[in-house]
Amino acid sequence: MNLQGFVIQLLSGVSTGMVIFLIAVGLSLIFGTLKVLNLAHGALYMLGAYCCYWVSSSLSHLPGSFWLSLIFAPLMVALFGGIVEFFLLRRMYNREFLEQFLLTFALILIIADLCKLAWGVDYQTIDTPWPLEGAAIWGSLIFPWYNLFLILCGPLFYVGLWMLLNRTRLGRVIRAVTYNREMANALGVNVPLVYTAVFMLGCWLAGMGGALVAPMSAVMPGMDAVVLIDCFIIVVIGGLGSLSGAFLGSLIFGLVTAFGIMVVPRLAIAFGFILMMVILIIRPWGLMGKPE
Amino acid sequence: METAMPKTNWMIRAAVVAGLMVLALLPVFMSRGSLSLVNEMLILAIAATGLNLMLGYAGMVSFGPAGIYAVGAYTTALILYDTQVPFALAFVAGPLLAALVSTLVGWFCVRLTHVYFSLLTLAFSQIIHTIIFEWYGFTKGDDGIVEIPIPALLEPIVNYYYFSLIILCVCLGLMWMIVNSPFGKTLQALRENPGRTEFIGIHVRRYQLSAFILSGFFLGVAGSLYCGFNKNVFPDYADMMKSTEMLVVCLLGGIYSFLGPTVGSIVYMFLDKIITRFTEFWPLALGLVIIGLLIFLRGGVVGFLSDRIAAARHKEREAPSDVSS
Amino acid sequence: MFQVEGLAKSFEGFMAVNGVSFGIEEGELSSIIGPNGAGKTTLFNLLTGRLVPDRGRITFRDRPITGLPPHEICRRGIGRSFQITNIFPRLTVFENVQVAVMAWKRKSRNIFLRASRILRDETREILESVGLWDRREVLAGLLAHGDQRRLEIGIALGSHPKFLLLDEPTAGMSPAESMVTVELVQQLARQWGLTLLFIEHDMNVVFGISEKIRVMHMGSIIAEGLPEEIKANDQVQEIYLGEET
Repeated sequence: MNLQGFVIQLLSGVSTGMVIFLIAVGLSLIFGTLKVLNLAHGALYMLGAYCCYWVSSSLSHLPGSFWLSLIFAPLMVALFGGIVEFFLLRRMYNREFLEQFLLTFALILIIADLCKLAWGVDYQTIDTPWPLEGAAIWGSLIFPWYNLFLILCGPLFYVGLWMLLNRTRLGRVIRAVTYNREMANALGVNVPLVYTAVFMLGCWLAGMGGALVAPMSAVMPGMDAVVLIDCFIIVVIGGLGSLSGAFLGSLIFGLVTAFGIMVVPRLAIAFGFILMMVILIIRPWGLMGKPE
Repeated sequence: METAMPKTNWMIRAAVVAGLMVLALLPVFMSRGSLSLVNEMLILAIAATGLNLMLGYAGMVSFGPAGIYAVGAYTTALILYDTQVPFALAFVAGPLLAALVSTLVGWFCVRLTHVYFSLLTLAFSQIIHTIIFEWYGFTKGDDGIVEIPIPALLEPIVNYYYFSLIILCVCLGLMWMIVNSPFGKTLQALRENPGRTEFIGIHVRRYQLSAFILSGFFLGVAGSLYCGFNKNVFPDYADMMKSTEMLVVCLLGGIYSFLGPTVGSIVYMFLDKIITRFTEFWPLALGLVIIGLLIFLRGGVVGFLSDRIAAARHKEREAPSDVSS
Repeated sequence: MFQVEGLAKSFEGFMAVNGVSFGIEEGELSSIIGPNGAGKTTLFNLLTGRLVPDRGRITFRDRPITGLPPHEICRRGIGRSFQITNIFPRLTVFENVQVAVMAWKRKSRNIFLRASRILRDETREILESVGLWDRREVLAGLLAHGDQRRLEIGIALGSHPKFLLLDEPTAGMSPAESMVTVELVQQLARQWGLTLLFIEHDMNVVFGISEKIRVMHMGSIIAEGLPEEIKANDQVQEIYLGEET
């Protein structure tokens, strides 16, 4: 295969990775701080996509409707997440792992069906927004502008999150609670509030991921399942609870899948799992996580 | 529930015997369609109880029982479809191969704990699913294997029902023996406190692996049984939805009791049939049921019932003069 | 009977245990005390197989046991009593102890026997000596704090150890409870012929019953001797006083 094809695959892999990064990092943060594996994360991503579609099509008469929905959709998902955390998830923090698993699984069922109820089973699409329609052309290389935009979003959010966690007071509080909940509590931190905040942040990120993906692929039932499993793979590779790990994991995942499809298309799906399996066997806490 | 009261045991025994008698007599007055449903429920009960060996007794949360279940189903399917090997052997081969695969998968998985254990079981289950899905030449992939021949004796639904019922009794009998044996008690101790169990001289990982393999064996039985029941197999026998179905069934009935998963499968099938009659949004309803369970019915149906009984006993004891004979 | 030579363990550059050596005679009742951070817990984990030492040797009855996993160490006859939370909450009191006895008798692998029918006498003996036979059918998690402590010791006895290590057995207890616990352990030691090693934070707890006390500070043993000697030792006083301020 030629250089062009290689570069396209590379870019393609990276752009896929960067979108999933947003969702994976939310999952990782939630696990790192709340110690809960939020299975519903994929469904929240889907909710974000649907909300984006909804806002976008409702405001389609306005210019920049997509960009407006990019503001609102993640907020809607975050709000939903906040309500869920407050009324349901809170009761589960001291419960057994299986019960937490089943709660978040139940949320998947509920969110997915609510989406079906609200928007039907047909797939929905959003047009690529101005000014990102069309593709960049460089010599004989053709790559969609929107995908390039997505590649840019990844590091942007990574830096933004890093700044949030390491340079703001809120970030410090979050890190304190993640590191030692009892101690933070004793020092006067309102731990339940922090939990809610982190959960909402995670949901916001998932919603943002969904919204960003909407112009690129169809919004439809079932999109949550694939993403969820990909997220698991990424957070395992990168390390549950690690921001950089999620970023690195997403890149690796994106690239491995893209090149996997090139080399052995039928088994490409399994590549991610095999990678996950290998990491769990030789280094369970992931590339950038810490052994417990 | 503070103490195990002999009277409760007697009641449970009576209920079990009555239940078995009812099950044995169902074909007499039930329609073929309904009988088919009950048959499915019996198979689900075997799978769930098998899963519960790991889940409720050993405390190991597996996200991927469906993978092992599918191994059992596909083994029997492939043998029956591609070879002339008699049904009995094909049927036995399913759980045996499932146990073998469990040994391999389990060996890796028990080296991990908690979330990581669960995620690895998921990864393996998904790999199994992908293999079945993609290896068209061998497993016919997405098309599945259909029109699997089973012996003429088992063709009529009533006959297969009794066959399933017998297998259920045998399997549950075996599992009952296992959970009440020293091995079973040690597994429970493991669940309660793996650290402490190490310090009474138990090689924790080895016991966990044994639980994994035993669980896999019975999941394989369920898979093989379902293969014969449906006369077809599909890749989605191994997918996450199926795994979760089994987990929900266990939780529904109560994971800390032996009959919990069985009760759970009865309730689950009931809910399934009733709810789908009213709405197509079965997942939504199921999700709400699960949440309701988690908040209100923590011990599952069995837990709820035994708490009620214990509460009633408590009242009896406090006002002996009011007890009527 | 129990010999430790030059044991050391460090974590990321921090020397938690730094060249500890001592010997324990059969039948002896001794203690290792020290303020928090002295390295007691690490030492304890090294002795019971939870951690592997960087350096040093541990011998039990002339056989090396350095680096063996916990279940192997238990098999050799070394028992460990934990702090309170280490029982099996959802099993009955009887089952809690029985499971240890079954492991001792190598019956844990068996899937054919009915557990409730075997080893009843052995289990009864232990339960009676810790005074819990009458509550044998109660779920362990429902016991009162003090009873859970007894159960914990009962589980340790289930393994029929020759040498029992007790890890801060009176942690979180009132002085009265502490005394009761210590007396119970002493009595059990006589009844079952155990050699005991207490690892304690509070000197007063073990003062009255120890034949020998060793004091640990910053990873090493800095004093060893009879209780009176230790109490009179200025260095020891300083360490503890320093901690109180």
